Amino acid sequence: MGRFLARRLLHLGPVLLGVSVIVFLVLHLAPGDPAEVMLGANANKEDLERLRVQLGLDQPLYVQYFTWIGHVARGDLGRSLWMKRPVLGEVLERFKATLLLTGTALFLSTVGGIALGIASATRANSLLDRLSAVASLFGASMPTFWLGIVLMVVFSLWLGWLPASGMYAPYGGGDLRDLLAHLILPAVTLAAASVTIIARLTRATMLETLGQDYVRTARAKGLGDRPVVWRHALKNALIPIVTVVGVQAGYLLGGAVLTETVFAWPGVGTLVVQGILARDVPLVQGGVLVIALSFVLVNLAVDTLYAWLDPRIKFQ
Amino acid sequence: MKIGRLLGLALLLPLALALGAPVNAQPVGTLVVGLVAEPVNLDPAQVTDFNSNRVGRRIVEPLITFAEESTKIEPNLAESWTISPDGLQYTFKLRKGVKFHDGTPFNAAAVKFSIERQINAEHPANKIGKYPFANYFFGNVKSIEVMDENTVRFILKEPRASFLVVMAAAAASMVSPTAMMKAGVDFASAPVGTGPFRYAAWTRGQHVTLEKFPDYWKGAPKIDRVIYRPIVEDQARLTELLTGTLDLIVGVPADFVAQLEGHAKVNLLKQVGAHVWYLGINNSKKPFDDKRVRQALNYAVNKEAIVRDVLKGTGAVSRGPVLPGTWGAEPNLPAYPYDPARAKKLLAEAGFPNGFSTSMWVPESGSGMQSPVAMAIVMQSNLRAVGVNVTLQTMEWGAYIAKLRTKEQELFALSWAAGSEDPDMVMYPLFHSSQWTPNGPNRAMYKNEKFDALLTEARHVTDQAKRAALYREAQKILVEDAPWVFVDHEIQIAATSKRVQGFKLHPSFDLRTETVSLR
Repeated sequence: MGRFLARRLLHLGPVLLGVSVIVFLVLHLAPGDPAEVMLGANANKEDLERLRVQLGLDQPLYVQYFTWIGHVARGDLGRSLWMKRPVLGEVLERFKATLLLTGTALFLSTVGGIALGIASATRANSLLDRLSAVASLFGASMPTFWLGIVLMVVFSLWLGWLPASGMYAPYGGGDLRDLLAHLILPAVTLAAASVTIIARLTRATMLETLGQDYVRTARAKGLGDRPVVWRHALKNALIPIVTVVGVQAGYLLGGAVLTETVFAWPGVGTLVVQGILARDVPLVQGGVLVIALSFVLVNLAVDTLYAWLDPRIKFQ
Repeated sequence: MKIGRLLGLALLLPLALALGAPVNAQPVGTLVVGLVAEPVNLDPAQVTDFNSNRVGRRIVEPLITFAEESTKIEPNLAESWTISPDGLQYTFKLRKGVKFHDGTPFNAAAVKFSIERQINAEHPANKIGKYPFANYFFGNVKSIEVMDENTVRFILKEPRASFLVVMAAAAASMVSPTAMMKAGVDFASAPVGTGPFRYAAWTRGQHVTLEKFPDYWKGAPKIDRVIYRPIVEDQARLTELLTGTLDLIVGVPADFVAQLEGHAKVNLLKQVGAHVWYLGINNSKKPFDDKRVRQALNYAVNKEAIVRDVLKGTGAVSRGPVLPGTWGAEPNLPAYPYDPARAKKLLAEAGFPNGFSTSMWVPESGSGMQSPVAMAIVMQSNLRAVGVNVTLQTMEWGAYIAKLRTKEQELFALSWAAGSEDPDMVMYPLFHSSQWTPNGPNRAMYKNEKFDALLTEARHVTDQAKRAALYREAQKILVEDAPWVFVDHEIQIAATSKRVQGFKLHPSFDLRTETVSLR
């Protein structure tokens, strides 16, 4: 187990290096550079050249890349070309907000999805099951930004129950209660698509598991519904669910950017999008590296979880 | 079902907690402003976008300023000035006793520092900043001399009658040399100036807070603090305004204007900005090198329909590049009315009775671009009606700007915010032949020698009445030559809560929160 983890962690280096090369190249292959984007329509030749020199863009590509990677190796992600602020602090600060939002959404979609899936499976073809099927279809096909705006209009504008955007009230707030109030709408919006996917999958695997011989045997022993479903069937049905939850975690991390934009949530997604539009290479690199790192760690956690769920799976 | 019940409780607990949270009443003296995007930094010499300037210009200010609701120049940190007869020396008398927020005195040396840091590569503050418009604004400055503590002289390479307007630009704002050398690169995030508000805090992605400067030379503002919140989503900004958590929003989208008009909770403000949106035509490319073709395009495009149906009243139809009603604008400029029959006739005369095919480049969005794609689609169908088949190519802003430098453009959508009514700030860069891209922003590749001569002369005479006559004549040539399809001037829309008093929009797109008081 320890050796397995160590080996997997060693893979991190090449993966992140690969990610950084790809991001660097893609940003440089896209037309337009930071100087051009900054000066926009008003640009004149001298200002462009001057700004390119000030931003270090007159250096050959490989020099720019190696200068940057050299700094990264020393734990310095550089400064944003635009904001002139240190990238590491900026990205980590924003990443905390993304993690909170994604974590909450993942919790909501996993718990909600599994509960809904089990309920549907144990009462297959009931009214609840059908309603949940319709709701799932709806949830999976609704675009995030649309759902976000609808929830905002209903719960903020009409009912006045929850704040419309931001992470804390600009004054007065700042406590846990304020944070929770701001978190609910974006977290529910973000969780909507995942909850339906997890629910449908849970229903399918639970139905399959409940039809197995050992479940019949358990029932024959005289066990009630609850221990059969929760203790015997669920744990065995969990493996595909864990896989999907892991995939959803990555999806939520990446998908958070739309929700963050709609609700002015100060996450890393909006920061990276701003960076891409500005061709701010160090900023985008920093943001993508942090997201990639967390994605790899989630995958590792999922792999580790398999073994706990199914003793037949061994680490090699 | 113990687990289920526990989970249910875990899910409901935060909801119950949150619902119980009281909506905070706005504190007296705090104005909360919703911005369309987060500022990049707060040093106006180091940014190019409206949102950064809207905040930064509260902290630092230039020698000369614009009057309320107009871009007529007024003394600010300079009390008065004299111009040498040859138009090459501008001597400014500075206001005495003005202090920067850090307590250091504002003086001639600070003026020299604030501008030289941008243009002199050897200047100690040049390396700790990036100055996008150094050459555009100050490339003409040969030297800056400190005459005495309160007198400073700018010596120009060539006469430029609009130099006073340049000195009113955001990039010409005065910064504290002591503070900048101390803070280094980080100065741009928290600049120190002489303005009505000073920097207080910046929580990235959430808000920038400024607090009033009690010793402001014009008298401290009536409000204690301004909080700027970046909220990209239009509906979120509107919701926050209507639920009372924002006091002021700008850039109200066209689709919301009707809903807010006469709303019990908000005041709506409108003003035509010093801006022009145009469909550029590459004058050096066939068939657009024929004036009749360019005129035909102007007759073919239904500008009234664009302003009415796409912009929904957030634009005013333009006849030329200069803001109507200002001193340099020709009041009797002939318009190109919507007249497809005339367009067809002109095309036939130019040898295209069956029209032709061409391409139109359009950015998906961009500062001052209003609703570029929707506007372009209307123009595309207008042009098809007269036989001109247009292929639309939409591009992301950064890619678009880069592509425009290739000179391959045929038709292209762009806008220009001059920030001032002075015709030199819009006509010279966009139409003078010395400004052909990539040297400058004349991407229409327009050249007319008579027009060039008029504009150059208007730079050399300092008398405004004489300049106005020259510009008026130049505008007539321009409209006849039709190097663009002139489309509209943006009407800025702001909405405020009822407790906001004394707020006025400014045609330079600045957001002057220092005039606000709260009920």
